[in-house]
Amino acid sequence: MAASVREKQAAALKRMLNFNTSPLKNTAAEPVWKVLIYDRFGQDIISPLLAVKELRDMGITLHLLLHSDRDPIPDVPAIYFVMPTEENIDRICQDLRNQLYESYYLNFISAISRSKLEDIASAALSANAVTQVTKVFDQYLNFITLEDDMFILCNQNKELISYHAINKPDIMDTEMEAIMDTIVDSLFCFFVTLGAVPIIRCPRGNAAEMVAVKLDKKLRENLRDARNSLFTGDNMGAGQFSFQRPLFVLADRNLDLATPLHHTWTYQALIHDVLDFHLNRVSMDESVGSEASPSGARPKKKNKKSYDLTAADKFWQKHKGSPFPEVAESVQEELDTYRAQEDEVKRLKSIMGLEGEDEGPISSISMSDNTAKLTSAVSSLPELLEKKRLIDLHTNVATAVLDHIKSRKLDVYFEYEEKLMSKSTLEKSLLDIISDPDAGTPEDKMRLFLIFYITALQPPSETDLDQYKKALLETGCDLSSLNYIKQWKAFTKIAATPSNYGNSGVKPMGQSVVINYLVRKNRVFKVFFFQNLPVTRILDNLMEMKSNPETDDYRYFDPKMLRGSESSTPRNKNPFQEAIVFVVGGGNYIEYQNLVDYTKAKPGKRVLYGCSELFNAGQFIKQVGGPPALGVRPKWQPITHIVHYYPMWPWSKVVH
Amino acid sequence: MAVDITLLFKASVKTVKTRNKAMGVVFDLPKDEIFKKSRPNNGFSLKAKEVISNITKLKDFLLQHRKDYVNAGSLISSDLTRMTDNERDQIDQDAQIFMRTCSEAIKQLRSEAEKRVISTQIKEHRGAVLDLIEMYLKGVCKLYSEQRAIRVKRVFEQENQRLVSEMSNLVDEVRQIEGKVVEISRLQEIFAEKVLMQETEIDSIHQLVVGATENVKEGNEDIREAIQNNAGFRVWILFFLVMCSFSLLFLDWYDS
Repeated sequence: MAASVREKQAAALKRMLNFNTSPLKNTAAEPVWKVLIYDRFGQDIISPLLAVKELRDMGITLHLLLHSDRDPIPDVPAIYFVMPTEENIDRICQDLRNQLYESYYLNFISAISRSKLEDIASAALSANAVTQVTKVFDQYLNFITLEDDMFILCNQNKELISYHAINKPDIMDTEMEAIMDTIVDSLFCFFVTLGAVPIIRCPRGNAAEMVAVKLDKKLRENLRDARNSLFTGDNMGAGQFSFQRPLFVLADRNLDLATPLHHTWTYQALIHDVLDFHLNRVSMDESVGSEASPSGARPKKKNKKSYDLTAADKFWQKHKGSPFPEVAESVQEELDTYRAQEDEVKRLKSIMGLEGEDEGPISSISMSDNTAKLTSAVSSLPELLEKKRLIDLHTNVATAVLDHIKSRKLDVYFEYEEKLMSKSTLEKSLLDIISDPDAGTPEDKMRLFLIFYITALQPPSETDLDQYKKALLETGCDLSSLNYIKQWKAFTKIAATPSNYGNSGVKPMGQSVVINYLVRKNRVFKVFFFQNLPVTRILDNLMEMKSNPETDDYRYFDPKMLRGSESSTPRNKNPFQEAIVFVVGGGNYIEYQNLVDYTKAKPGKRVLYGCSELFNAGQFIKQVGGPPALGVRPKWQPITHIVHYYPMWPWSKVVH
Repeated sequence: MAVDITLLFKASVKTVKTRNKAMGVVFDLPKDEIFKKSRPNNGFSLKAKEVISNITKLKDFLLQHRKDYVNAGSLISSDLTRMTDNERDQIDQDAQIFMRTCSEAIKQLRSEAEKRVISTQIKEHRGAVLDLIEMYLKGVCKLYSEQRAIRVKRVFEQENQRLVSEMSNLVDEVRQIEGKVVEISRLQEIFAEKVLMQETEIDSIHQLVVGATENVKEGNEDIREAIQNNAGFRVWILFFLVMCSFSLLFLDWYDS
C-alpha cells in the first residue's frame, strides 16, 4: 500500500472520468469530450482531489450539479457521479426520458440496490434509451480524503452523523441504525478503495463498538461471497505484497472531550480553529484598501476571498503542522528566496537589454552561457509566479490568523491549557484569566473552563464552581455546555474502565508539554515537545501490542477468520506497520497533527486518521450546548445483549 | 475499486421487460419520435470531429516520417530511407499549411458557435470542446516543432561539421605554405649573399667602364681634331703647292 489513500481515490476518480478505462499516458492523444454530472456528495469528494483545470485536461467540458437545470447537449457522453438516493434516481430517470445526452455512464458513489437499478431500467426502457446507458458502476468512493493520510466521511448532511446526533438522549433505535449504517457504508467503501481487510479493535460499550460489529459483519459477508468479493483480484495486488494487514482502531469521541476544545498552536489546526476552513478551502474577509472616503465614514468594503490549500502547495505541505511562529519565519524566508530569484531574472533581463547597446564590457560573457541562463529563467518564470501566488496566499492567511491570536490572546490560552492538561503548576489563577476583559472571546473562556473542569482530578467545590460560573456569566458565556460536560464527567467516573482518567498512576491526559522560552527578535517564542494525546496513546498501545489496562479490554475483530469471536485476545503478536484510526463522533486537526508527529517519530509506520466529521471548538460547543435539551434523561431501558446498540450516554445509568 | 454492474443493469432491463410484458404494459413509442431523434445540432460536433480527425492525420503523418526526417546523416541508413533536404522542407511547409488551416477551422467553428447561441450551457460546452481541440493541435504542433528543432539542430551540426572540416583543411594548407615560405626565405638569404658579392665586382667593372668610356670619348675627340687637323693640313699643303706652282710660273715668266 505504497500509494496513499488520497492517491488511490484520485486514481479511481480519474479512471472513472476516462470511461472506466485506464487513462493513457500519451499526452498527444485525441481529445474526447464529456460532461460530468454530480450531486453535492460527489462534489465534496471531487473538489479536494481534482482542480477544475485537471478536469478540463481530462476532457470534461461542463461540470454540473445533478439537481440543476440542464440543457440537452446531444452527442456528448455524460458521466454521472451520484449517490443512489431516491431523488437522484428520479432525476436520472427524468434525464433519460428527456434525452439530454448521447450516452450515459452512471457511477454510484456507494453500492446501489437492486430495486433502484430496476427503476432506472424501467425508465430507460420507457424512453427507449437502454442502449444509451453504456455503463453502470459502483464506485465505492463514499468518503472524502482531505490529506494523504486523513479522511472524513461526508460533508453534506453531516448533522445526521454528528456528535450531537449520536449522543443525544432522545435518540431512537431506528435513527441510531441509520447513523450506523451510513458510517459503516463509508468505512466499507474506504477499505475497498484501500484494498485491504483490516483487523479491527474497538473499546467496549459505546458507539464505536456498534460500528465495529457492523463493519466486521459487512466485511465478512463480502469476503464470503467469493464471486463478487471486492477484495480479490487486481486491487489486492499491492496489498498482498505487504504481509501485514493494517490495524483499524475505532475510538469514540467521548473518550476525550478536552482535545476538541483545546486552543492550538500549529498552523493547520489554527486555521481550522480561527478561520472558516472546509474541505481544504479557507474563506476569509479581506478588507479592500484604505481609501479615505471624502464624504463621511463609509465602512471599508470587505471582500470574501477563498483560498485552496492543496497538496501541490509545497509550503503548505511542509508547514501545516509547524507551530505558528515557525510558519511566520518560513514565510519570510520564502519571500526572501523569491525576491532573490526575481532579482536574478531582472538582472538577466537587463543584461539582455544591454547587450544590444554596448558590446564592450559584455563581450566577456559568452553567448551560449547567456542563452542557457535565459532559457532557464524563462522556463522558471511560471514557477516563480506560482511561488509568488502561494507566498501571498500564506501571508494573507497567516496575517489573518495572527490578528485573531493577538486580539484574543490565544497564546495565553494555549499555554494555560497545556499546563492544565499536563498538571503542571499554574501561574495565574483561572479566575484571573476568565475575568480578564481583553483576553479572548467568551467562547475562548468557556473552552478554557471546560478543559479545566475535564482535567481536574477532583471536581471543584460548589462554592468555587459558583464563583467561576458567576465570572463566566459576567463575561457573557453560555453555560449550557457546562451541564453536559458535568454529566459526562460524572458518567465517565462511574462507568469508566479503570484506566480512563485519574485513578491509575498513568498520566490522565494528554499533552504534557515542556515549555521553553526563546527570545528572538523581541518576541517570546515558546518551544515545546509533544507527548501523546489519548487517541495517540491508545493507538500506540494497540499497534505495538503493549499491554495496558486501558486497551486490554478492547474487542478484537478479524473479518477474515471463519468464526467471529467475542474474545479480545489478538491472534497476532507482531506490532503492526499500518494503522487507521477512526473517531466516531467527530475529530479535529489537533488529533491529526498529534498522530502525524507520532508517526514521524517512528519510521516505517503509517497511520491514517479518519473521523465522521470535522469540527472546531466553536462548532463542538454549539453541538454540546445546543438547544435540544441535552439534559438528564429518564432511565434508559436495560439492553439484554450487547449486540443491540447501546451508546455511551453520560447520564444514563448503567444497569449491570 | 469500482465494480462494473452493467451486466446487472442489463439483467434488470430484461427483468423489467418480462415483467412489463406479463403485466401487459406496452411502451408505445410513437413513430415520429424516432425521427425526432435526429439531432438538430449535429453540425457542430460533426465538424469538430472532422477537425480532430484531420489533426490526427497530421500527427500520424508526422510520426510516420519522423524516423526518416530525424535520421539526417546516420551512417547506416541506406539511400532509400534517407530524405533529402528538399523533402524535409516540403514536409515542413505542408505541415505548416495544414496547421494553419486547422487553426482557422477552429476559429471559424468558434465564431459559428458564438453566433448560433442556443443556451449558456451548450455555449460553454462548445467553448470547452474548442479549447480541447486547440490544446490537441498545440500538442501536435509541439511534436512538429520538436522534430523541426532536431532537424535544425542537425542542420547546424552538419554545418558545424562542414566548417570544422574546412577549417582543418585550411589549417593543413596553411602549414604547407608555411613550410614553403620558410624554404623560400632560406634560399633568398643565399641569393642575397651572392648578390652582395657580385655587387663589388660590378662596381669595379662599372668604374672601368666609366673610365673606358671617357677614354674613348677623348679618343674620339682627338681623332676628330686629328681629322680636322688633317683636313687643314691638307688644305695648307694644297695651297703651298699651288703657291709654289704659281711662283714657279711667275719665275718662269720673269725669266723670259
